Amino acid sequence: MKRNRVSGFGIVGVIVLLSLAPLFLESYYLHLAILVFIYVMMTSSLRTIYISGQMSLGHAASMAIGAYTSAMLAKHLGWPMWFTMPLGGLAAMIVGVLVGLPFSRLRAIYFSMASLFFGMMVTTLVALAPEWTGHYAGLPAIPRLFGFSKVPYYYFFLALVLLTLLILYRLEHSRLGMTVKSVAQSYLAASSRGINERGIRILSLGIGGFFAGIAGAGYAHYAGFIAPESFGVMPSIFLLVYLLAGGKGSFAGPIVGTAVLYLIPYAMAGFEGYAPFFQAAALFAVLYLIPDGIVGLPRQIMSWVRRLRDRKKAEYAA
Amino acid sequence: MLLRTIGLTRYFGGLAAVSNVDMSIDEGQIVGLIGPNGAGKTTLINLISGFLRPSSGSIIFDGHDVTRMKPHLHARIGIGRCFQAIPLFAEFTTFENIVASFYLSADTSLWGSLFNTRRYRRKEKDILKQAEENLEFVGLREVKDELGKNLPHGHQKVLDLAAALAVKPKLLLLDEPIGGMDQDEADLALKAIKRVHAGGATILLVEHNVSVVMGLCDRIVVINYGRKIAEGTPEEVRGNAEVIRAYFGGDYAA
Repeated sequence: MKRNRVSGFGIVGVIVLLSLAPLFLESYYLHLAILVFIYVMMTSSLRTIYISGQMSLGHAASMAIGAYTSAMLAKHLGWPMWFTMPLGGLAAMIVGVLVGLPFSRLRAIYFSMASLFFGMMVTTLVALAPEWTGHYAGLPAIPRLFGFSKVPYYYFFLALVLLTLLILYRLEHSRLGMTVKSVAQSYLAASSRGINERGIRILSLGIGGFFAGIAGAGYAHYAGFIAPESFGVMPSIFLLVYLLAGGKGSFAGPIVGTAVLYLIPYAMAGFEGYAPFFQAAALFAVLYLIPDGIVGLPRQIMSWVRRLRDRKKAEYAA
Repeated sequence: MLLRTIGLTRYFGGLAAVSNVDMSIDEGQIVGLIGPNGAGKTTLINLISGFLRPSSGSIIFDGHDVTRMKPHLHARIGIGRCFQAIPLFAEFTTFENIVASFYLSADTSLWGSLFNTRRYRRKEKDILKQAEENLEFVGLREVKDELGKNLPHGHQKVLDLAAALAVKPKLLLLDEPIGGMDQDEADLALKAIKRVHAGGATILLVEHNVSVVMGLCDRIVVINYGRKIAEGTPEEVRGNAEVIRAYFGGDYAA
């Protein structure tokens, strides 16, 4: 109970700090913060799929579907963005469910491979209707949500990411979340308890797809320009790296992982070329040293300290 | 008659793992399914619980034709099952394993989970209470908060039983419920099985330990090479020449 209250205060503190940030930060940092918000939505929605036992290597495809749906409807048809953005999420959700129908028959690495190739396929679809999608060169002049200042965008995406996290948190810590996690642990036990395990995994794909689609739509109307390469295989793999590095086992993992790893290249002004090395180093650190990810670091350090102390004690005793 | 199989057959490649089995179970019975290794016992259980589709034949349960029904729907009409190799929710605690198994009693709507509605809360509260009872029932209270994967084998098996009870089965299929257990664990499991039966469930169990089966079951079905070779009360089966031949080889059938 006490621990809950402490972390509750912590969360409120972080939200207050984030809401005050535009008072102190220049627009370049607000820009970075906005991108982090968008990618936190991506990584957290990827985790929603992950906890059902499906490791997707094509999550950026959902972002692409949301981004292109909303961007094209707003740009070519002039539909209002408050309407096209939810449609983008809906489109990504529907595609997630449709893809899930056959893909939920696959397990483990076979699902991952299928999602990888699906992700590759989605971005090539831009070639089908070049005058609508801008082909491989990208779609420019997408209507923007607000004017030139970053501040309204900042608050908009802060609100959006908080709402997304709230919903995903509630879902994960409910009967539905428990069911999703049980399916990942044993589909045999789950189905013999009456759980339609394929249905549950399809549902996870739908929910994860929805929020990724919303993130993509937001991104399109923030950046004003989208291109297929932003949603290809590498971005999908990076999302997975953020998730694993942050800590796949905890809700905070993808949030922390994205915030840290996404910002590494920007923190290394002048040495951006080396950023992949640092991101790889972070991943290897997680794989070999801190299996619970960055969020597990404090506890991991405690256990190292304890072990060191015990060894010292043993030396004195000897 | 609660369960009836008619000409149930299942091929794996060219091999008939279960061949033309007619079997019936009356409500309230404990029926033992025995046979030598590889006789097709687990295949038969998998067919009845829907994890395998029969090549031919049919299965009637409680008036429903369940021959080609999906496994999760079996649970909904009252067929529960425990497994030989235990498929626990390894990262859940003992208690969470049972709570998660009460899926059919829960409000599983997106709406209920998201908004914590009154209906959702009431159902979850009921489930917690029933899960405590199930825990008590199988005697796992001391290990309530242990992770499933850290439990000893015997406790895992009994937990599987407690979790299977969460679907409130009319028919419970048990695949070697005391396999690999030491005497204390087996006693615990057998006590739990007897209590389940006393609570009104019909039971079909596969078991290698013949003396346990003889002591526990009202009726025994013997299969060998996928075929039913004998059926009857423990006494009848014990004296059956074909059963003796199946277990000990032809020379002993004197």
